Amino acid sequence: MTIGQSLLVSVFGMAVVFAVLVALCLLISLFSKIVTAFGKKKAEAPQAAAVQAAPAASQDTGFTGGQLKLYDVDEKTAAIIMAIVSHESQIPLSELQFKSIKALD
Amino acid sequence: MEFSFIETLENIWVTSGFANITWQQLLMIAISGILIYLAIVKGFEPLLLLPIAFGMLLTNLPLAELMLEEADGKTGGLLYYLYLGVKKGIYPSLIFLGIGAMTDFGPLIARPSSLFLGAAAQLGIYVAFLIATALGFTPQEAASIGIIGGADGPTAIYLTTKLAPHLLGAIAIAAYSYMALIPMIQPPIMRLLTTKKERETKMEQLREVSKLEKIMFPIVVTILCVLLLPSVAPLIGMLMLGNLFRESGVVERLSQTAQNALINIVTIFLGVTVGATAKAEQFLSPATLKIIGLGLLAFCFSTVGGVLFGKLMYWITGGKVNPLIGSAGVSAVPMAARVSQVEGQKANPSNFLLMHAMGPNVAGVIGSAVAAGFLLAMFGG
Repeated sequence: MTIGQSLLVSVFGMAVVFAVLVALCLLISLFSKIVTAFGKKKAEAPQAAAVQAAPAASQDTGFTGGQLKLYDVDEKTAAIIMAIVSHESQIPLSELQFKSIKALD
Repeated sequence: MEFSFIETLENIWVTSGFANITWQQLLMIAISGILIYLAIVKGFEPLLLLPIAFGMLLTNLPLAELMLEEADGKTGGLLYYLYLGVKKGIYPSLIFLGIGAMTDFGPLIARPSSLFLGAAAQLGIYVAFLIATALGFTPQEAASIGIIGGADGPTAIYLTTKLAPHLLGAIAIAAYSYMALIPMIQPPIMRLLTTKKERETKMEQLREVSKLEKIMFPIVVTILCVLLLPSVAPLIGMLMLGNLFRESGVVERLSQTAQNALINIVTIFLGVTVGATAKAEQFLSPATLKIIGLGLLAFCFSTVGGVLFGKLMYWITGGKVNPLIGSAGVSAVPMAARVSQVEGQKANPSNFLLMHAMGPNVAGVIGSAVAAGFLLAMFGG
């Protein structure tokens, strides 16, 4: 093999390596963009659903701490008791969670 | 039956290796001793250099005939049978399977332009090829010598067994020795080709790569590379299969086996048998010295190619890419990336280039496999 031929092989070989890796670079960039765009769409969908659900919840009760069971206590008395507990404990009513209020004999 | 003590002693002496050893074999045993020393005491790529050196020792012990070929119904030597895995290209491909399972291609996916650096750092392969042909080596031999510049042991072994198996011992030893010497070979070249301002460049943090991208990567690379260069299929195919094991997350046992037990077992067989090809009559020749010289040249030019392309990227991006990561384009993973990190921190102590350098580093593995595929397609017959 002459020097000229080996020089040609070297230049061509380097070009092939570059061509393959440039093609790979383009392909990776392309599928990264597709994956990112797809991921964004997916992330936006649940966020939109959450935003839509939130006003509905606030329209109903403002906030919710679960269900309260009342045993031999009317709603008015239960509301007074909860307000007193909140006042005495210095904890806002929104941060308190009552499970049940039961009248003692 | 007559017993003569002297005659028996004579017989033992005549049939022993001591009476049959040549000065060339003694020299090879001494060389293997030096390599064992370098592996154990200096820590030069011990995982491969130690079995290679011991294989070299075994094959140069006279009358042991561990590499004896099977012929006329006579059983061959142990290492001859183990060597079939090298000869048939099985071990380098299995090593690639393990490397794939160990490699995180995330930094490369996060910055695909790293691939350019991995390509540029293959320059040494072709410069060494050019000089080797000028020195009178055949194109097959020159290609095998040039691939040392890829700084990828399994690829060098794979290509050499296909193109110039008689040079395997010298090429494998040169490749692994220079890979161990990367922290000494690369820094002077990196400093010579870059300014202090360039070396001080801090790079932006890489983006997070999604799991889907990491799973898609090995599939896309395999399809593209193998369609373009079918001869590269055993190396790229196994590399990417290992990586798919890792990233899929559903075959943890296979991934663990590939990156631990399998690669360790294959490394033993590969190292010992490659070392065993370094027989005195083949190894002790002027060609070996030329190979060692050309191998060093190939390493240096690969570093030059990577750093110069890094400078080009620095200029194009307006100073956003530190050219030091270009030298990591030679595929010695992760040694070359560590060198970039160390040099970057020397210039600017708050610089952390390791993850940025891992991109070109793993790109170099693909780049050298592609270069090997090209040379195989050209000269493989």
